[in-house]
Amino acid sequence: MNRRELLLGVSAAGALSALGAFPARAQISSARARIVIAGAGAAGLSLASRLSRQMENASITIIDAKHEHHFQPGYTLIGAGLWQPTDVTFRNADFIPPGIEWIEEGVAEFDPDANRVATTSGRSVNYDFLFVATGLMLDYRGIQGMDESLIGTDGIASIYAGPEAAAASFMEIETFIDKGGVGLFGRPPTEMKCAGAPLKITFITDDRARRRGRRDNVELIYNAHAGAVFAIPPVNDKVKEMFAARDVAVNYNHVLSAIDPDAKKATYRTEGGDVTLDYDFIHVVPPMRAPEAVRNSPLPWQDGALAADGWIEADKATLRHPRFANVFAVGDVAGVPRGKTAASVKWQVPVVVDNLVAETAGRDPTATYNGYTSCPMVTAYGKAMLIEFDYDGTLIPSFPFIDPLEERWISWVIEEKGLKGAYRAMLRGRA
Amino acid sequence: MADFNPVTLYFILYESMGVWLFILAGVAILLLVGVIMMTFRLGRTGRPAKRPAMAAIAAALVVTVVFFFLVPRWTLAGIGALSGVVDYAFAALLALVPGVAAGAIVFMLAARRCTAKSMRQPVSA
Repeated sequence: MNRRELLLGVSAAGALSALGAFPARAQISSARARIVIAGAGAAGLSLASRLSRQMENASITIIDAKHEHHFQPGYTLIGAGLWQPTDVTFRNADFIPPGIEWIEEGVAEFDPDANRVATTSGRSVNYDFLFVATGLMLDYRGIQGMDESLIGTDGIASIYAGPEAAAASFMEIETFIDKGGVGLFGRPPTEMKCAGAPLKITFITDDRARRRGRRDNVELIYNAHAGAVFAIPPVNDKVKEMFAARDVAVNYNHVLSAIDPDAKKATYRTEGGDVTLDYDFIHVVPPMRAPEAVRNSPLPWQDGALAADGWIEADKATLRHPRFANVFAVGDVAGVPRGKTAASVKWQVPVVVDNLVAETAGRDPTATYNGYTSCPMVTAYGKAMLIEFDYDGTLIPSFPFIDPLEERWISWVIEEKGLKGAYRAMLRGRA
Repeated sequence: MADFNPVTLYFILYESMGVWLFILAGVAILLLVGVIMMTFRLGRTGRPAKRPAMAAIAAALVVTVVFFFLVPRWTLAGIGALSGVVDYAFAALLALVPGVAAGAIVFMLAARRCTAKSMRQPVSA
């Protein structure tokens, strides 16, 4: 290589770097901090991967009793009968980086005043920095008469409870389409993960019935918990338009409060009092709350809309706890207005890690999270809308050539082929 | 989109495809080397690359068209799922992968035949 070629190469690399073709080198810190990560879900594993690379001298402990890891965005595709439970099931051990201590127990108690967490066996773990990434709990029993064990029986479906429940839900959808009748869908009034999933399973059921030539035999009703079917106005308008075109009826301000599996009746709390609807099929989405150990700790919001269900108080831009400055909440358990999707975790984790790295290295933390939330809204077999938005509800498409409000096969490709690889790369802190 | 830099894309592809990523990359490099070598060989024997190139383009086109219709199936969808220019363009792009591979193979075979012929019947200057 002569001097001219060398200069050209260096210039080209510089230009590519300036154009963002290569990632900026991650900042590192040599601080010897004790870091505890509560939870080995999407956020916990992603945090572990990044922290282990960016804070090599830190002592990092991850606490979670679960050995299996589930790619939850795939549950809709299991519910559609396209994927199998094995397609979404990984081993946590495969994603925990070397050098990290994994305590294979649950967290029983958070004591942020003493900078300590206690595990289910009573072991006490002290920390300098705590990342709470426990995820949330599905409160099926918050619906009177409902229990997780009912999923897959008597027309009751729920893709949220896990891969096996999603597979059982598909069988219930098939039986419903075979027999015909009334199908009820909806969502809870609480904060929830992947708020698009209740709509997706409605669209899937509609399309499945059409493809099988049985659409005239089924009546589909979506019971929205509030005055809209989706919180983002342009998406709400679009989904309403699509529901009308596909003959899906919508009831507003209907909150599922009780279910009678034997009589196949569902009771909804409405502004005008309780309303009971007969069903042949119901897709139940349970109320969602912070796990008990979080709710019983000083970490949740003390007042406001996010206090009731125990979501952790956090600054929405930095995810740092305002009362306990060495505590961060990441993922579903964070008490921020949006961001309960895997795609949100992808943007949250670099923010909290970069800020901690900066702080422990003596620099000012400057990274902020804008509320990025993504929902590849499956609208039929082979079609989806790639909806991405921020705290303000502004649509922020990643790909300028994909209209977020148009049903596209390319958005389906991203859902069916692209997301799992991106998710696994995220768990390894590489995406 | 700025987040999809080559390094991130590599990890996403690796997590999606596993060792198949390296196998496919290896096949692509072999095909590229084969095409370059056969082009040089054509040059050395004084044979024009026009006929092998035309055969390669024809093969690539046929395979691309066939795969254009098959690509949606690979995503568990039907051809009816395509709607809008971006869908058709992306399906064509994906179909181009086997199309280009087929074109490369046909180019090598046709070029080999041409060079073998020129060994038996040298081209007059």
